[in-house]
Amino acid sequence: MIRKKALLTALALSGSAFAFAALPAATPALAAGDAIRDLTLIARDQGANPQAFQAAQLIAQAWGKLGLNVSVRGLPRLQQSELVWYNRDKWDMTMWQMVGRPERSDPDELVYNLFHSSTAESGYNFIGYKSEEFNKLAEAQRVETDKEKRRELLRQAQAVLDRDQPNMFLVYPKRSFAFDNAVFAEDSVVEQPGLGIKNIWSYLGAQPLGDQKDMILNSTDPLNAINPLYISGATDSWVTELIWDRLLRISPEGLAEPWAAESFEWIDQTTIDVVLREGMMWHDGNPVTVEDVVFSFEVPNVGDEVPMYQPFVKNIESVEATGDRTVRFKLKGPSASFLTSSLAKVNLTPKHVWEAVIDDLANRPENAESHQEDLPIGSGPFKFVRWKQQEEVVLEKNADHFSPPNIDRWIIRIVSNTEATVSMLRSGEINFLSDYNGDPEVLADVADKDGDIAIVSSTDIGFQYATVNHRRPPFDDVAMRRALSLAIDRNLMVAAAWNGSAEIANSPVSTALSYWHSDDTDAISGSLEEAQQILKDAGYEVIDGRLHYPDGIKETLEGP
Amino acid sequence: MVRVVNRLLHMLFVLWAVATIMFFMFRLMTGNPLAAYIDTNFTLEQQEALLVQFGLDKPLWQQYFIYIGNLLQGELGQSFFYRKPVGEVLMNAFPNTIVLTMGALVVAYLFGIPVGAYLAWKRGTWIEGVGIPTVLATRAAPEFWLGMILLAVFAFNLGWFPSGGANTAGAEFNSEFARFTSVDFLWHLVLPALSLALYLQGLPLLLMRSNMLEVMQEEFVTMARMKGLSEWAIIMRHAARNALLPVVTTFALSIGLSVGGNVVVETVFSWPGLGRLLVGAVASSDFPLAQGAFLLITLVLVSMNFIADLLYHVLDPRVSHGSNN
Amino acid sequence: MAATTDAAPALGPGIYRRKTKTQRVLNALNGMVAVPMRDPFALVGLAIYVVFVLVAIFAPQIAPYDPLEILFADGKLASNIPPLTDDHVLGTTNLGRDIYSQLVFGTRSALIIGLSAAFIVAALGTLVGLLAGYFGGLIDTIMMRIADVALGIPFLPFVIVLAAFLDPSVWNIVLAMALLLWPNTARVVRSQVLTVRERAFIDAARVTGSSTSRIIFQHVAPNILPLSFLYGSIAIGWAILTEASISFLGFGDSNVVSWGVMLQDSFLSQALSRGSYHWFLPPGICIILVVVAGFFISRGYEEILFPKLRD
Repeated sequence: MIRKKALLTALALSGSAFAFAALPAATPALAAGDAIRDLTLIARDQGANPQAFQAAQLIAQAWGKLGLNVSVRGLPRLQQSELVWYNRDKWDMTMWQMVGRPERSDPDELVYNLFHSSTAESGYNFIGYKSEEFNKLAEAQRVETDKEKRRELLRQAQAVLDRDQPNMFLVYPKRSFAFDNAVFAEDSVVEQPGLGIKNIWSYLGAQPLGDQKDMILNSTDPLNAINPLYISGATDSWVTELIWDRLLRISPEGLAEPWAAESFEWIDQTTIDVVLREGMMWHDGNPVTVEDVVFSFEVPNVGDEVPMYQPFVKNIESVEATGDRTVRFKLKGPSASFLTSSLAKVNLTPKHVWEAVIDDLANRPENAESHQEDLPIGSGPFKFVRWKQQEEVVLEKNADHFSPPNIDRWIIRIVSNTEATVSMLRSGEINFLSDYNGDPEVLADVADKDGDIAIVSSTDIGFQYATVNHRRPPFDDVAMRRALSLAIDRNLMVAAAWNGSAEIANSPVSTALSYWHSDDTDAISGSLEEAQQILKDAGYEVIDGRLHYPDGIKETLEGP
Repeated sequence: MVRVVNRLLHMLFVLWAVATIMFFMFRLMTGNPLAAYIDTNFTLEQQEALLVQFGLDKPLWQQYFIYIGNLLQGELGQSFFYRKPVGEVLMNAFPNTIVLTMGALVVAYLFGIPVGAYLAWKRGTWIEGVGIPTVLATRAAPEFWLGMILLAVFAFNLGWFPSGGANTAGAEFNSEFARFTSVDFLWHLVLPALSLALYLQGLPLLLMRSNMLEVMQEEFVTMARMKGLSEWAIIMRHAARNALLPVVTTFALSIGLSVGGNVVVETVFSWPGLGRLLVGAVASSDFPLAQGAFLLITLVLVSMNFIADLLYHVLDPRVSHGSNN
Repeated sequence: MAATTDAAPALGPGIYRRKTKTQRVLNALNGMVAVPMRDPFALVGLAIYVVFVLVAIFAPQIAPYDPLEILFADGKLASNIPPLTDDHVLGTTNLGRDIYSQLVFGTRSALIIGLSAAFIVAALGTLVGLLAGYFGGLIDTIMMRIADVALGIPFLPFVIVLAAFLDPSVWNIVLAMALLLWPNTARVVRSQVLTVRERAFIDAARVTGSSTSRIIFQHVAPNILPLSFLYGSIAIGWAILTEASISFLGFGDSNVVSWGVMLQDSFLSQALSRGSYHWFLPPGICIILVVVAGFFISRGYEEILFPKLRD
């Protein structure tokens, strides 16, 4: 009897444990608008991005002090994009990240795509930021081929973003990578600014010291596809850029330099001639020809079969073979980023393999992204050997390549367990830590104990941020956004969420891109008082700890 | 014979019902079943074409009959994530799961049966007083937690066993059989199988013990005692043999339950199995793969229930503790 | 175990006598407490429960901090503080949350999940078992076929699939348990009902014109309540373990303080690499204690309900 009663009491009492967030809004006593609804800050689940998740918790607590009732909700990647990307008017706040890729060494992609109004409906501007002033600057820098002038335009664009605070940029993370320096000569591993040592130059250059001639890397996420016509997951792109060559490649210095192209020459602002390197072969033994090059740049425009590469060839008016080894590109208009985001981006794809596939797809609703070759054929420095889902991808050295690697095999292991990943690095089950989401300090300790692990951390081109939906009040209000941004203590973000392994961010152009990054925007550093003052000045009021709209404004939306 | 046919029909009914429930769950509970497949760059026309391709433009009842028809032909559709037939993706993972499950069960039964008999023999002593709570505690501990502790001790700290995966990176084998029998594979199998076995041994152990207790009261045991046989001889020669059979029949049942239950252990040890595939598919909204993996696990469960059920009626069943699921 | 059969419980088989309604109900309830008292294991289990229930009730008084509050010391995040520092008995998490407070509040989630799942499983199972057993015929057939289907669905995978459609919430687990685990109870209750309904006092009730529902709920039900209790007490453990597994797989609700979420947090924050065993071990030990307590209590019932397993 007693026991039963006690249990019931426990049940009744503990019901309140779940009621943290459900306090009813107090009735306003002063002249003010409605109370602002309860808000949900969406984040990737803790396992996928522990730092950002931790940051979200800190941000929710900070915004709570402004009088907002914010709860964090961790979601898997696809559920997050389902909500944020496909239901653009249904969410209030989310954490988001842009990852560094070699092509993003040119600031155009992240500046233009993220904030230009044209991408608000279905593109990268999912937050719905709209500014004519910004649009003009973003368009102008795109076609400005004078580097100095372009930099000035980008500076102005960054200033507009600093003023409007469409996003609350948090940090450019310093990514930690590590390798076993008893297996690979330390000076043969190459660091590329913004990307770290996880780049093709390391894979090509790494000099094995002993019998272990396999480079064994790790990935947290499983691979999605190995396809030259599809930009799928992050890990997938590490693989595709090794199997398939590109005309140019981004050098360790961040510039687009000749690769499969022996040379290139601008004839005028919209015409460029490219000379293909001699004697290149596909992995199946066929020669790489100019027809293959033409095919590679034309195929994204065949119907809708290669949607993801369309933006990168959109500016091409025509591409034709002008000789055995020469190809001429004619552009629709001048483009500052053509070398980086087209010639160094598009994979050289064998016509004899893909032409038939594309023809076949023309009659079906699927596109080239749904086609997975059993044995992918490229011309790159590594050949495909096998792909075992959930286990590994194995590539082997292409000894016939014009720039053959020193290692025999390049293997990527799928390990989602971070603790196990670190242990594998120590035991030699992996010897190149290419994907580490854990605490840099833990890694440093492990390296200390182990003795032959070298850690390299570099500031990312990508960035982590919190953002709000401009389509939904009060986030259409610059004052609100500025207040939210200032309320976030960036130093705390760096110290507490990223364990000191990050730089404060306030621009889509990372400090890793030092030429393009505008130092003027660095000043953002928050104080709660400032944020509260901004809200007060804009007419917002805190009543009983709860933030209310300025006088006369009704809450038209519902909380979670 | 009638009974076998009867049970078989019954099994098919259960499979059909589960498949139907899954169909409606996946069709009705998702906002857009293609969300994970449709790329941000797709036009509306492309999206609609895809709906047609996946047959999602048809009325629900038509979709249902197409689905059942496909299932009967073993056609599970295309994985959104891997862009390969679901059946092919599943078959890459399935053998790994079966080997892990069987390995763990063999260890569990080889340990559980003699120890269960021993604890029955030691009834009422302090050994039982310590033994039973310990066994119950292994069944009460979260499997992933035990797994992580094993991993921390034997892989991270001692370095005796690998930290995950089923094979060393880049290992080459002529056949799947060669792979499963390789030292490399078995070395990778030890920790995950041990974690599972730690959990699984409780059932055969407790069952064996209670069967023993019961058998030991029966007449022939009393007779043996009167004949002056030693306790040990009685246990080994008479009691154990009779107590053993019902325990062995639960082996089949355990296969079915364990294939679905070792999801967490596969995750801890980065084991390339069915459970991890299911978790990954759910996390990435790969509905065809999630559905396929779920149905395959169900198939194993239901057919093992069927086999256990047949065995149960051949040999006398016992109900015992902790085996409620 | 040391208890002897001569202290025959009021509820053992063969003791169904005609009594007044109140007597029967009181007897049934009394039995639930009385049964464990005869078995030392069950007594230990009960004691563990009592402690955890008290902790759950007085969690706000016991825990020094709000379990979700991110703590700061001297303007800096109070992260990874070792145990027994200041008033952080078990130290703090990577995000500066007090581990001991989380452990204390985790008791609430554990009991809420465990007890609600146990209640639903036992109640649903008993109801189905009662109806199927008492009425037999078509109702019985239909209900038992549904039970077969539910038993053919793998439990943990089902909870994972549910997570694909529903928001992360501990109630998913309760829902899954309600949907899938009632048949075990229902089957046993049903067979018990089959024996009970043939007994004389039921016949008597029928003859004297008692309504069917009256017979089922006032005459039959009290006799099978201990069985429901047995299955309920095992379900508590299942629910808590399932919550831990689901949280570990990343489908849990990180806004709820539970032992499963704590384990997941420590695991993702590399508690093992850091050597933070004070973070990684206690939630696991608490889970073991509560689940074992359930096993102990259920053993107490089992020994009495199925005395053939005893000597």
